[in-house]
Amino acid sequence: MKFSYNWLQNYFDQALPLPAEVAEMFTFHSSEVEDIITVGDDTVFDIKVLPDKSAWLMSHRGLAREFSQIAKFRFLMRNDHLAGEVSFGDQLLDVQITLETPVCDFYGAALISGVKVGPSPVWLKTWLEAIGQRSINNIVDATNYVMFDLGQPLHAFDAQTFIPDSEGVRTVCVRAAKEGEKLATLSNEELTLTTNDTVITDGVTGNPLALAGVKGGLNSGVTEATTTILLESAHFERVATRLSARRHKQTTDAAKRYENGLSRSVAPYGLMAGAQLIADIAGGTVVGFATAGTSDVVRPEVTVTVQDINRVLGITIDAQTVAGILKRFEYKVEQDGEVFTVTPTHERDDIQIKQDLIEEVGRVYGLTHIVSIAPLKALVETLNIRHYYAEQIRDVLTGLGFSEIYTSSFRNQDVVKIQNALASDKSYLRSKLHENLKEAVQKNSAHRDLLGVSAIKVFEIGTVFTPEGEYFRVALGVQTGSTYKAKVDDALLKVAQEALVESLGVSIEWEGTQDGVTEFTLDSLLPKLPAVTSYKTIVKTVDAKYEPFSLYPSVTRDVALWVPVTTTAEAVEAKLVQAAGELCVRVTLFDTFIKDDRTSLGFRLVFQSKQKTLTASDADAQMSAVYDACSKSGWEVR
Amino acid sequence: MSKSTGHRHPLSIMIAEINSIFAEIGFTFAEGPEREKILYNFDSLNVPADHPSRDMQDTFYLEGDDTLVMRTHTSPVQVRHMLTHTPPIRMICPGKVFRNEATDATHEAQFFQLEGLMVDKDVSLAHMKGVLEYFFSRFFGGEVQVRFRPSFFPFVEPGVEVDMMIAPVEGNKLSGRWIEVMGAGMVHPNVLRAANIDPEIYQGFAFGMGIDRLGVLRYGIDDIRLMYNGDLRFVNQF
Repeated sequence: MKFSYNWLQNYFDQALPLPAEVAEMFTFHSSEVEDIITVGDDTVFDIKVLPDKSAWLMSHRGLAREFSQIAKFRFLMRNDHLAGEVSFGDQLLDVQITLETPVCDFYGAALISGVKVGPSPVWLKTWLEAIGQRSINNIVDATNYVMFDLGQPLHAFDAQTFIPDSEGVRTVCVRAAKEGEKLATLSNEELTLTTNDTVITDGVTGNPLALAGVKGGLNSGVTEATTTILLESAHFERVATRLSARRHKQTTDAAKRYENGLSRSVAPYGLMAGAQLIADIAGGTVVGFATAGTSDVVRPEVTVTVQDINRVLGITIDAQTVAGILKRFEYKVEQDGEVFTVTPTHERDDIQIKQDLIEEVGRVYGLTHIVSIAPLKALVETLNIRHYYAEQIRDVLTGLGFSEIYTSSFRNQDVVKIQNALASDKSYLRSKLHENLKEAVQKNSAHRDLLGVSAIKVFEIGTVFTPEGEYFRVALGVQTGSTYKAKVDDALLKVAQEALVESLGVSIEWEGTQDGVTEFTLDSLLPKLPAVTSYKTIVKTVDAKYEPFSLYPSVTRDVALWVPVTTTAEAVEAKLVQAAGELCVRVTLFDTFIKDDRTSLGFRLVFQSKQKTLTASDADAQMSAVYDACSKSGWEVR
Repeated sequence: MSKSTGHRHPLSIMIAEINSIFAEIGFTFAEGPEREKILYNFDSLNVPADHPSRDMQDTFYLEGDDTLVMRTHTSPVQVRHMLTHTPPIRMICPGKVFRNEATDATHEAQFFQLEGLMVDKDVSLAHMKGVLEYFFSRFFGGEVQVRFRPSFFPFVEPGVEVDMMIAPVEGNKLSGRWIEVMGAGMVHPNVLRAANIDPEIYQGFAFGMGIDRLGVLRYGIDDIRLMYNGDLRFVNQF
């Protein structure tokens, strides 16, 4: 949520510190300030209000309370609209409210007559616009102001929309919507409601006028002709409101506040503040109020000791400091030595257990006070044999030139189906690794030259799923050519299979050996493997640095040379690399033999650009430089 | 032929190293199923029945069995481990998790998390700070400092966001600045209770972080989808 620095200042006589300093205080003691934006002569904080604090912190008043606590600034109680008791006087006789659904447990309405709809005063416009709200007119702006100030959503109806009955009584009825009932919203979208939605209706005609807690209706809103306002301040159940907002894709600021569990105790205060503000800025008279349901809340007494706090946070705070913090929250605090019994303020529903108070004290005092306790060396209770043997398998296979891949757990067809898949080709869980490995060797096969290998050899160790259970599997895949060649590929696979059997010392039940791919279940093998007494030591090498690779195709050229036997392949390779230029991304020696005191060396050069697809002539141009360099060195190109 | 050695996947390299570091200070490598009971993935972790994270938009559900989900985090392994062990408990769990979300360079619908849990009579946030500083110092090399900021997760109270800073080293772009790395906190008493551990006697910390994110930091990987598409142009760089 966006918060205005100037708006916040309104809660204090003392000048606030610079915005950057204020932001830092919030980030380290309350909720993270993600952005600081300058808007005119104001500064706006974009704050990621934490979910457990959203019920009361999605408001300038809530943030001001936090600031007063953190910075020990005196909060101006005279500007606090949530303090004291609200008294509405006698209920209006000509406005009635009926609550027909448990989704609404409190509904308050104020009748304000003689208003003049027009532009808002400058201060109101400026503050709303600073936090990204469009100014609409004085009435709507007043309702928005109260929501962003106190957290309580308000809605202004043109009172004329409620048709009086024969005795002149207007009725606001809150009920479940009827299946298929239509409602045109303020932004002129037609919603088709379900019985899970709640609507505010005219009790006489039965017409729906607003989607409760979410959005107002098109035909009941304030217009330039409006003179009498029926102002709503209510409380709607959080889950029903969230689902309703989601169902109709109306994630409004009001709905967000209800779904975060705004306390119903705030509604009467919001109603009073809203009615007064409208009367102030739109020149009307508050005729009276009507309410239904209850806004009372009972907050639990929570007990915490100084010892509890220190034991959980690992700090050494004293009773006096704890007392100071708890009292600054305006909580009701009873102190008995080092024991504190706390009753939180009405708007705070997030103080339920002692851990909640420990958090409050910890964050205000400062988590930076926590001094780390270094861990002691210790032996593990049990070794993870699956991990141990998976590591051993990795050693064997990488030693044979196999590279490890991790592939998707999802398949387009298999046995176990996902109810809500991301895409139709990801609807099932894999029951084996075979298909994924087959696809991987095929895909990589095109890059053999680029990778500098004659065969693609991969393996994966991962989980597969059947209706009965899930299994940890090992799969190997091999491909020498651009397609599977049984004769060559199966032989390479066999070498790896035998190496694994030899290393593990047990026979392995290979499954689905086909197309150069084979796999087995590691879990069933584990009980047969020798007990493990310690993990192998990991030899830490210098970290690789990943380099983004080109997605353009590469071009391959071979060159064969006669060089003196005294010339090493490495020296020749170095020369080739230098002559071939930057486009040459790999040089691989693929053939060596000696004849008549000369060595024949066969090199494969791969060219690739990060900017474009290379043509044959691009590669040939580089190769002529290679040939020149070779003849200058006295090497004969064969 | 040039001699060709195969390559370990960076996730495996990191997981092996993570295990090795935590094993030095007595943390057991625990595991649990990737297709998990809702009971362990949400209920036992103090995630309310109406919590948005349970929505179909965020969690994969299995057809034909309403009690199962693809685990959305490695935290259910905490519960399983506590149900089968008694304190003192020290465990880590690196493992695959699933989120029903659109993928891009920094998001995958399946990725790896590292869970950590330590429970005993007096385990505090000060112990967590020490353990994390030990781990990061070993994992990134050099001296690493850790700091906490207030945060919230249903399964911990208090909850914190963890930042780390590698002591300034010339040429190391990661060093000398605070980097947000994980969420953590003190295990919520409801979670201990659900795992048959008495919160009046025992307390402890838990943390969870993306192993992919560790890879991004350590190797400079610019697109985490590369970790899961089987492309050797990526894997063979490690």
